[in-house]
Amino acid sequence: MKQTAEEIADGIRAGNIRSISRAITLVEDNNSLITGREIIKSIYKSTGNAGIIGITGPPGVGKSTIIGNLSSMIRASGKKVAVIAIDASSPFTNGSFLGNRIRMQDKLYRDGIYMRSLSSRGSSGGLSRSTWDAVRILDAAGYERIIVETVGAGQADLDILGMAHTIAVALAPGLGDEIQAIKAGLMEIASIFIINKMDRDGAFMAMKDIEDSLALTPQNEWKIPVVGLNSITLEGYEELMAAIENHLSYVRKSALNAKKRFFHEVKAALMAESELRINALTEKSMSGLTDLESDVRNKVDPYTVAEEISKSVLGDIA
Amino acid sequence: MVEPSSFWSEKLKKLEERDKSGDPQYKKWKTEVLDLWNHGSEGKEFTNSSGIPIKELYVPGDLDGDLNERVGFPGTFPFTRGIYPDMYRGRLWTMRMFSGFGTPEDTNRRLKYLIQHGESGLSIAFDMPTLYGYDCSNERAEGEVGKCGVNVSTLKDMEVLFDGIDLGKVSTSMTINAPAIVLLAMYMAVAKKQGVPLDRISGTVQADILKEYIAQKEWIFPPEVHLRMIRDMMVFCTENAPRWNYISISGYHIREAGASAVQELAFTLADGFHYVEMGLNAGLSVDAFAPRLSFFFNSSINFFEEIAKMRAARRIWATVLKEKYGARNQRSMMLKFHTQTSGYTLTWQQPLNNIIRTTIEAMAGVLGGTQSLHTNSYDEAWALPSEKAVKVALRTQQIIAEESGIADTVDPLGGSYYVEWLTDEMERQAYSYFDRIEKAGGILNAIKIGYIQKEIANTSYKRQLRIEEGKEIMVGVNKYAEENEPPIKILRISKKAQLSQRKRLSDVLASRDQDKVRRSLERLEDAMKDESINLMPYMIDAVESYATIEEISNIGRRLYGGWKEPVIV
Amino acid sequence: MAAGKNLSLFRDKPVKVLLAKPGIDGHDRGMFVLAKAFRDAGMDVLYAGLLPTPEEVVDTAINEDVDVIALSLLNGAHLVVFKKVADLMKKRGIDDIAIVGGGTIPDADRPKLEKLGITGNYGPGTPLKTIIDHIMMRAEEARSRKLGIA
Repeated sequence: MKQTAEEIADGIRAGNIRSISRAITLVEDNNSLITGREIIKSIYKSTGNAGIIGITGPPGVGKSTIIGNLSSMIRASGKKVAVIAIDASSPFTNGSFLGNRIRMQDKLYRDGIYMRSLSSRGSSGGLSRSTWDAVRILDAAGYERIIVETVGAGQADLDILGMAHTIAVALAPGLGDEIQAIKAGLMEIASIFIINKMDRDGAFMAMKDIEDSLALTPQNEWKIPVVGLNSITLEGYEELMAAIENHLSYVRKSALNAKKRFFHEVKAALMAESELRINALTEKSMSGLTDLESDVRNKVDPYTVAEEISKSVLGDIA
Repeated sequence: MVEPSSFWSEKLKKLEERDKSGDPQYKKWKTEVLDLWNHGSEGKEFTNSSGIPIKELYVPGDLDGDLNERVGFPGTFPFTRGIYPDMYRGRLWTMRMFSGFGTPEDTNRRLKYLIQHGESGLSIAFDMPTLYGYDCSNERAEGEVGKCGVNVSTLKDMEVLFDGIDLGKVSTSMTINAPAIVLLAMYMAVAKKQGVPLDRISGTVQADILKEYIAQKEWIFPPEVHLRMIRDMMVFCTENAPRWNYISISGYHIREAGASAVQELAFTLADGFHYVEMGLNAGLSVDAFAPRLSFFFNSSINFFEEIAKMRAARRIWATVLKEKYGARNQRSMMLKFHTQTSGYTLTWQQPLNNIIRTTIEAMAGVLGGTQSLHTNSYDEAWALPSEKAVKVALRTQQIIAEESGIADTVDPLGGSYYVEWLTDEMERQAYSYFDRIEKAGGILNAIKIGYIQKEIANTSYKRQLRIEEGKEIMVGVNKYAEENEPPIKILRISKKAQLSQRKRLSDVLASRDQDKVRRSLERLEDAMKDESINLMPYMIDAVESYATIEEISNIGRRLYGGWKEPVIV
Repeated sequence: MAAGKNLSLFRDKPVKVLLAKPGIDGHDRGMFVLAKAFRDAGMDVLYAGLLPTPEEVVDTAINEDVDVIALSLLNGAHLVVFKKVADLMKKRGIDDIAIVGGGTIPDADRPKLEKLGITGNYGPGTPLKTIIDHIMMRAEEARSRKLGIA
């Protein structure tokens, strides 16, 4: 399928699945002749309509099940829904098993929900950028609610979650001390707390625990709700949906927020630019290395070597 | 927090107390003879599927004093040497060849062929649509009808399948799980039509749904729904069809999915214990139903490991039924089992080699004390068995029985230092698994969280890597392989099966009493909603009015939905 | 293009493969072994779960824009069911996602599958390396087409 960036962009605006899928591939892969960038440039004006919901939490909490149920319910309420799921790659082989999809498989086809799995290989910056771009593509294609599921609560996740309007942090009873460790960071980013597996022992205590911590944290205008879910009986999901919609309208009302978001987008794009250039520089420099022998003989430290190389290539920038 | 000690951890403690100080004579031999010999076993690894390292020699010192008590005599607790006092001297194992393909007519012909050639028990394989509760007319059945077993969509198919076969005179094993209750109802309906009373019918439905969730993946509904149906079959048959085995608690599939022998042993028995608890919870006394529980094990290629596994299985079952579940009747403690030689070990390369593999595996089953045996055909890595191949497989059993002499005495390997040591070791590892499973919340919960499945997937992957690295040999595959092998003739299932089955189904649908069907399905649905009601009479009623397998299964689908397994990889 | 020649093609974004059994066949031992092996070979692996319909398999493949769909069946229905998948892909106009087959496939059926564009068709006992090399080769073709460099 040989298409131009403009053809793909037209396809995206028309909601064509093949164009959407292909575009996401192109933003993931820097080898493409038609860069993802050209596509994003073309469609950007059509973005801004989607409500972007980030869902995060420690492994084992049941995020995929929650997202499966949630997305079906949102779809049933008449909105087009897309899901982006990020799975961890092996640090050793760089391969990954993109297992999140299986949890929702039966609902995806049946309810017409678009889902795309991304693996977290390579630099976290790269993943962050591709996820942002994938969200923009889906936004321009008319998906009204885009759910982004991240693995855990590391830096990469926080970067990705930064693009969401609403962030729901999911926890479950029985996670014990692990919660304490993550809580600090999560308290700052959460718009909504979810306690899943409410039928389990310790669920009410877990809820209480979060509510108490919230009571101690200074909160602004938005009062962070804590929603208990039973993913088997679907109890709590209506409440969750309402909390999400409430927060979405709260956040999107604000012009200040819009400016802040754009600021973040530009910053992220700048970092992507810099990263590209730095990578190119490094590659160029490494391939141009000739006189390493003498440096090795004279025990010159790597920093000195690097400074010399970059000065000769970049000049005196910083 | 001090954990209350469980039945399993107590048992484990006792097993580990066994004296393992070693045999001083062995030590002498090792330093003075073996270590000086050095003819090439250095650096080689000797192990089995369970990862148990195998020594070069086993001696009396490898077994401790109370061996007699735990080996005992055949026909008495703990039945290590066999469940009957005379085993095959009294009666040979049942030669039961798994068969089924195409149309009911085709299978009926194959059954009669096998009976004519000396098979003593019938065993029926069903096709994928039937196994999953779909009619042959379903779109998803396209290309699958009759392919890996016989297609049965309505009672009419069952009637054709057993045409000319007296259900009062044969023993029939039906390998069916998710819709087992439906097929059992059909069998009972056919018996009724033949005038055979229910208390005369003899046979088995596999029905073991726990192993489906673990290994074979042929389920329709969530676990609780299937388990309720098993309970209903258990209660109904205990009261009305006492010669019918309503469950065959299976390890075969668990092994084929990649488990080791110890995992097969442990997970199968853990499933068995769950069914015992189910019967007890249903209000039956253990001795009323436990004698009817039967098992189905794999016999794979590592000869002694398989024999030890089967002996350990008997001992564990007897011990646990007696000490944990309070069984008093000896027959509750007797683990009866069917064995099938391992399909996984068959290779498509050099298919005739499979005859040897099947022979070794069959011998292990006999020396392990199986009650009935199926031997695979040599062409089964390619397709369903051809007539020629299935005859060789049957003859394999007959030659073992009549010519080899291994069936002339009970448990001939009893007392072998190696076999007794291996039996003990596998028993110990099984108890270790029972303990872990209990800590995981019991077998059903362990399945729901994917613990059992992950254990199996890991073992399977490790094994595959070993094969790729040449650490484990498959003759003809990664050693002694040949280029350009000549093709063999294999069985082809024609499309005709699909056409004729669909035609029969539409005839049945057109000619049945629509009101009668509708009412019977409504009654069945009401019964399904009430967990305290036994579904069996409603199932029989439904199949007798010629409701289809899909119509019946759809009631459950509507009421309870399906089940998604957790992520295993 | 020989396998392994163009690994830089997958430097940013690994080979993405969808493992699927599109028929009524629950025997998934091989699927898990392949999933682990592919992941250990550096690929991003998707698994279509149990009993997907051909429509669901194709839907997943297109949404995820995989490079290769690896189909496997052990129940004898491969000619009918693999063809359904190939036909659906053709109907949706997809020519840059490769289909590789496997399972209990008699020699006589291979040419028929290859005519549909389904290659490989490996039986049980095939070394993992052979399968992986083949998948890599077809993935290179597919990815090059997607990126417009072939």
